[in-house]
Amino acid sequence: MRLGTESVGRWGLAVLVVAGVAGGVLAVHGWSTRSHGLPKVTLGNSRPAKTTPTTTPPTQGPTAPSQGPSKGHRQLLSAQPYANVAYQIWPGTLSSAAKAALIGLKVSVKQQGSDLIVTAGVNGQPSGHPRTYAGGARVYVIEASLGDDSGNTDYNLGDDALVVTDAKGGIIQ
Amino acid sequence: MTSNRWERATQSAASWAPTVGRILLGLVLAWFGYHELVQPGLWTGYVPVLSPTSSLATVAVLAHGWLLLVLAVALIAGIAPRAAAAVAALLLLEIVISLTVSGGLSDLTLRDVGVLGLAVIVSGVDQDRLVLTG
Repeated sequence: MRLGTESVGRWGLAVLVVAGVAGGVLAVHGWSTRSHGLPKVTLGNSRPAKTTPTTTPPTQGPTAPSQGPSKGHRQLLSAQPYANVAYQIWPGTLSSAAKAALIGLKVSVKQQGSDLIVTAGVNGQPSGHPRTYAGGARVYVIEASLGDDSGNTDYNLGDDALVVTDAKGGIIQ
Repeated sequence: MTSNRWERATQSAASWAPTVGRILLGLVLAWFGYHELVQPGLWTGYVPVLSPTSSLATVAVLAHGWLLLVLAVALIAGIAPRAAAAVAALLLLEIVISLTVSGGLSDLTLRDVGVLGLAVIVSGVDQDRLVLTG
């Protein structure tokens, strides 16, 4: 078989077919696990955050606590597959990694009694509505890859999320 | 004597450079292709126009990842490498345009411009080392 000036022999074709099948298997695996991964508490509308203001409001934001697991059965953040890309942003001083993970995002946290009120959004867009996390003690931003951040822009908000935990590290939904 | 050695070394480097460039380009595509296939949800934010939470965006990422993986194998194994690099160049051009439109010029965008340049070079150079022709 010829592709332009190049020819693809039997072995070449066989290797490409094997690669295609392997890619298909991986795609099926990826499709079946598409709902796993980062928590559903995403930031912004998952569009790149331009620095210029826009009137488009985020379509998503941190969800309020509702039907999540009861207090005694919260999943530990440390047990999640994304634990190694969770950066604590409250309380305390931001680490350099947390600052990098926050690029393109704006998150404010206020403590009100035993509750945390968290407002999250994307730079250049109106902030989302404040959400109350009963018993919240720590706030983390999840950034699966820092390679999509540049300057003041996060090009891929699909790998960002926000997680609030209680004092024991249990995730508050 | 020294100039002869230097000449031989530069000739050897020149003859291997297209092969090294092709394989490195293939490794870049393989890395992204594999990760797009196994964790498509982390990449849907890059899909233009479509909502990142839509199934269509996930399908688009999976299709993109599959194509990247096949191109990567073609480049690394040396199967029609110029054609594979040309297709990769088109994909990278689309990525550069998409990133520029959505976020403007940045170090991230220009890094992809560099990879695009590598793909263009590989697509224009005859490969005669480590290629699968049979």
